[in-house]
Amino acid sequence: MNAKFLSFADLDGFIRGLAKSHTVVGPRKRKGGTLYAQVSTAEELELEQTNCLRGPKEFFFPQSEVLVEFEGYIDRAVPAGESEKPVPLVLFAARPCDARSLEILDRLFVNEDYVDDYYKAKREAASIFCLSCNSPKPSCFCTSVGGNPFDTSGCDVSMTRCTDGFLLEPLTGKGESFVKDLNDADPSLLEERQRLRKEAEGVVRTDLDIGGLPEKLKNMFDDPVWAEITDKCMGCGVCTYLCPTCHCFDIQDEAVDNKGKRVRNWDSCMFPIFTYHGSGHQPRDKRYQRMRQRIMHKFNYYVENFDVIACVGCGRCITECPTNEDLRDNLKKLKELESSTVE
Amino acid sequence: MSRQNPYIPIPVTIESAVIETDDRLIKTFDLVFRDKGDEERFTYLPGQFAELSILGKGESPIGIASSPTERGFLRFTVMKVGLVTTALHDLEEGSIMGVRGPLGNWYPVEEMRGKNVVIVGGGFAFTTLRSLLVYMLDQRDQYGEITCIYGARNPGLLCYRGELDEWAKRDDLGLYLAIDWKFGPEGPIEGPSEEGWAPVNLKDPSQTTLDPSVHKFTAFVPQLVQAVKPRAKDAFAIVCGPPIMIKFTIPVLLDLGFPPERIVNSLEMRMKCGIGKCGRCNIGSKYVCKDGPVFTYKELQNLPKEY
Repeated sequence: MNAKFLSFADLDGFIRGLAKSHTVVGPRKRKGGTLYAQVSTAEELELEQTNCLRGPKEFFFPQSEVLVEFEGYIDRAVPAGESEKPVPLVLFAARPCDARSLEILDRLFVNEDYVDDYYKAKREAASIFCLSCNSPKPSCFCTSVGGNPFDTSGCDVSMTRCTDGFLLEPLTGKGESFVKDLNDADPSLLEERQRLRKEAEGVVRTDLDIGGLPEKLKNMFDDPVWAEITDKCMGCGVCTYLCPTCHCFDIQDEAVDNKGKRVRNWDSCMFPIFTYHGSGHQPRDKRYQRMRQRIMHKFNYYVENFDVIACVGCGRCITECPTNEDLRDNLKKLKELESSTVE
Repeated sequence: MSRQNPYIPIPVTIESAVIETDDRLIKTFDLVFRDKGDEERFTYLPGQFAELSILGKGESPIGIASSPTERGFLRFTVMKVGLVTTALHDLEEGSIMGVRGPLGNWYPVEEMRGKNVVIVGGGFAFTTLRSLLVYMLDQRDQYGEITCIYGARNPGLLCYRGELDEWAKRDDLGLYLAIDWKFGPEGPIEGPSEEGWAPVNLKDPSQTTLDPSVHKFTAFVPQLVQAVKPRAKDAFAIVCGPPIMIKFTIPVLLDLGFPPERIVNSLEMRMKCGIGKCGRCNIGSKYVCKDGPVFTYKELQNLPKEY
């Protein structure tokens, strides 16, 4: 299908149309920052802000999600939400890094070993419109980790903000069904997109090249550098909560008498209790060991298991860190360090 | 894996709950599926584990102590440690609870067919080793020599004592039991810790003269392995116990000539999901719940030392 055009003036009608049959979620100004939130008009959208404070994972893997509800004995336990079909969702104007983060999470939650039905159902009910980044932020580094401000992976429709409106390129059958009634875009817009893409790529900081780092990290487990890069960290875990690809969770029961629910909650490898054994044994009692786990998981373990780096370069862990830890500096240090002598 | 929601526990009834050890902290539960179809779907092998699920309290990952050759029940031997295991200990026979599994991988029961097998266990980690031992004894002609070396701090802390007495009578199984030395200010005291528990040579356990009629020893497990000197040729060593026992047993096995790929360990970690998603039980890129809990020593040598 040809690329389509949606003028700024028509955006509101388009959103209102979508909202009739879908839950539409897009960047929206909220107290404290811009967040992905439900919208029903174009006015509610905040499309200037390059990056929302949080990624979109919460719409597929909520911070707190009921797995099982029960009353009395176990044979009356029912999987929560199994009876109701998830509402079709349109994630509108997600940034390319955020769209890509969902593809990365898919490999963990839906694979040949085990399928996470809760995640899968919500994911299948969702369509992604991504909005290319004309002006990446100083904290962005998507191009260093396999992304691009104009990347379209994980998207059903790719949107580019041009001078007079949006260029909409459907990439999947699902995407086509959303835009088929719009007018074809003038071919000049595709040229404009190319120009904007070049400009944007030039803005993203490019002095970080992590080529070869995943393989190198395998032999760096015992390197003293981990303690060094952990000096500033106070272990608050905000990097993991805001990270669009962090997916570790805890499972807790909440019950009064014999009625209650089993809930999974986001958890963080930066907390000591994450690995604390019942016996009192603690495999990661030092903060540097937990920092090492976080970086190793993203840049080595995930690559070994799922063939992709679990980082999209969104920069949230950099902008929101209370002690100004900069993942880029740490990766650079790890990359440039002399090959570890410790086997 | 059948395509069922892996987070939903399978309902079971506690058929029996028996206190296993003199300190009353370890109990053995025999669980019966409430649905025959569930029982048929629950196919497992020795070394696998399950999440024991008590609604309102949570779940605990526990090794399966029964053997798949024993039909009609699942056995779990559980130490009272935290919230879930305490609640489990309080449940009475006839109570309904949940089981999620089977989870994880298993001991190399196929590769070991026709080979000799040396089981080395310590404390209540003997559970999945019991599963393995019963599995092999139930198909005795499929395996070569079977040696089982099992120790606890004192005789009252050994699990499955009734079965141990039965196994001691068999001539197709070399069973050796150990209890810890008694300690004085100068270290271990030479001589038996309890009546009937013969000491091994304290200076050099490998110099111990073994009386074929004796199977109870005062020794730490690694020392008893040194004294028994199981042959490494065509043999697998299966080791499960507290970290300190594993640490000192592996060098003994290597000295005896067991290659790292035929020394098999079972590990434990804090777990939640049991299916490799929640992210906490990894050693390097391997998840103990999904890629383990059974690892050969060779595999462990290639993983970071973070356990």
